[in-house]
Amino acid sequence: MIQVEGVRFGYPGREVLDGVELSVAAGELVALIGLNGCGKSTLLRLCAGLLRPAAGRVLLDGDDLARLSRRAAARRVALLHQSAPAVPGMTVRGLVRQGRYAARGPLGMLRDGDDPVCARAMADAGVADWADRPVDSLSGGERQRVRLALALAQDTRVLLLDEPTTYLDLRHQLEVLRTVARLRHERGLTVVMVLHDIGHAARFAERIVALRKGVVAADGPPGEVVTPALLAGVLGVAGRVGRDPEGGWPVCYPDHPLEFDEGLAE
Amino acid sequence: MNRRTPLLLTLLVLLTPVVAYAGLVAGRALGPAEAWEVLRGGGEPLARHVVLRLRLPRTLVALVAGASLGLAGAVLQSALRNPLAGPEVTGVTPGAVLGAVAAAGLGLAGWESPAAVVIAACIGGFTGAGLLWLLTGGERADPVRTAVHGVLVSAALSGLTAMVLLVAPGELGSVVQWLIGSAEGRVWEHWSLLWPWAAFWSLLAFGLAAPLTLLRCGDDQAAAAGLRTGRARAGALVCAVALTAGAVSAVGALGFVGLLVPHLAFALLGADLRTALPGAALLGALVVGGADAASQWLSRALALALETDRLSVPTGALTTCAGAVLLLAAVRRATEEKT
Repeated sequence: MIQVEGVRFGYPGREVLDGVELSVAAGELVALIGLNGCGKSTLLRLCAGLLRPAAGRVLLDGDDLARLSRRAAARRVALLHQSAPAVPGMTVRGLVRQGRYAARGPLGMLRDGDDPVCARAMADAGVADWADRPVDSLSGGERQRVRLALALAQDTRVLLLDEPTTYLDLRHQLEVLRTVARLRHERGLTVVMVLHDIGHAARFAERIVALRKGVVAADGPPGEVVTPALLAGVLGVAGRVGRDPEGGWPVCYPDHPLEFDEGLAE
Repeated sequence: MNRRTPLLLTLLVLLTPVVAYAGLVAGRALGPAEAWEVLRGGGEPLARHVVLRLRLPRTLVALVAGASLGLAGAVLQSALRNPLAGPEVTGVTPGAVLGAVAAAGLGLAGWESPAAVVIAACIGGFTGAGLLWLLTGGERADPVRTAVHGVLVSAALSGLTAMVLLVAPGELGSVVQWLIGSAEGRVWEHWSLLWPWAAFWSLLAFGLAAPLTLLRCGDDQAAAAGLRTGRARAGALVCAVALTAGAVSAVGALGFVGLLVPHLAFALLGADLRTALPGAALLGALVVGGADAASQWLSRALALALETDRLSVPTGALTTCAGAVLLLAAVRRATEEKT
């Protein structure tokens, strides 16, 4: 589904990705983890075709993303950014509708038309009840679900989420992640999400990809990948790893941050 | 779309002829009854001349110029995602005024030719916007920075305009009209130049309604949804500058219209530009048309009170005074919402 081949990317004066190899199969739910600034978000943007790799390529179903137009790419892959500015006066329905731009084009968007895709996206994300309320009047957790509905309205097979749980309380974090996991089953989506909480990654993802210094440092199912060595080597913390007594997924008990490069250097 | 949106738009459409009629009967020489008589096809030859040759084009020019300014402001604020953007404070209007004044005052392009003035105003408008673009470092500038630099650019351009006026003081009387803004003395020639220009760019601006709505949602969001943000923004800016230049060359720099009318439009009609753009155009027309009518009524009242008949209040003086008050209200509301 998504094929990242030897991708390098940097911003002026700073190399971010240094030859990333990653292959995500259709229907997978992958969590990307790593330290701040390790290139997680950049990799996600490259996978959405919002950035062009300096070297290597990103294939979507075998098509090079760099060759697709912005709209063609947005019809095939949706990306939920970490944060979005407030849009005064925008209703939930109005914002979710913006996800149809890629499918309908600038002039198609002028026609109103009842859009079943938007209705489904709002129902899937659980925001249909607030359709006519201003987005600004919603709480952070509610707003995040609205933005998820916007991404779903793009009606793509691939959904990329950049820290979908940032700024949310635990209850809303679980709500968003459970919604994503459910939709992935119901709609057959391929999901790649950046998560800061390794506990969430271990609980919800079936595969964890850890980035460190611009390359993939670990890649596999949570049961195999989440180890004290991963905590030390990728996240720079000392800690222990146990199992959830009922579900069996790994549970981390982080203890203290390691001295810079103490664990990272290994 | 909100349920009251169609109702509001209809109301605005219905108000337009009311304001136009108020403008037609506002002058000193003729009363409402005589003006109405002329509109129905009758009337004295003199009355016909006053209404059909003088007042009608003046009113129509005021309405269309107002619509252009309202649209330009709405497009600018959306494209720059900046509630403080408006043609007046982004260098567009001052640039257009400088272009028009330089062309007319220095005789660079035949003073008699309104078309030359439109082109000069356009060049000036683009120069002003371009200067701001360079100063703020391209498209990813934040609102406050853009606003501050916009005021700077606008002040510099106004200074240049003042210098042109000092060099060529001969045309001062007509030029002052541009600086403050007035529809007085606009005739059919101006109208026939203004409306095709305004119609063309308005249609183009409306075609950009969907990309502009997306730009309001933020660049990241817009790009993820499939918009080429840089191209959309550039197109929108061209539309806004062209609309402003057209309006400025016809009625001059009417203060605050392009800055405030969009606020009103977004507050009344929501963030979807499919309705907010027509709303901004209609509101702009109503505000400028209304200000033009009001300024004539005011001139008449003042003339009676001061017993002089050579007094005329420029439209722009009214829009600026009313606009300053409204801007204060809008800013206060914005800060209250934040806290």
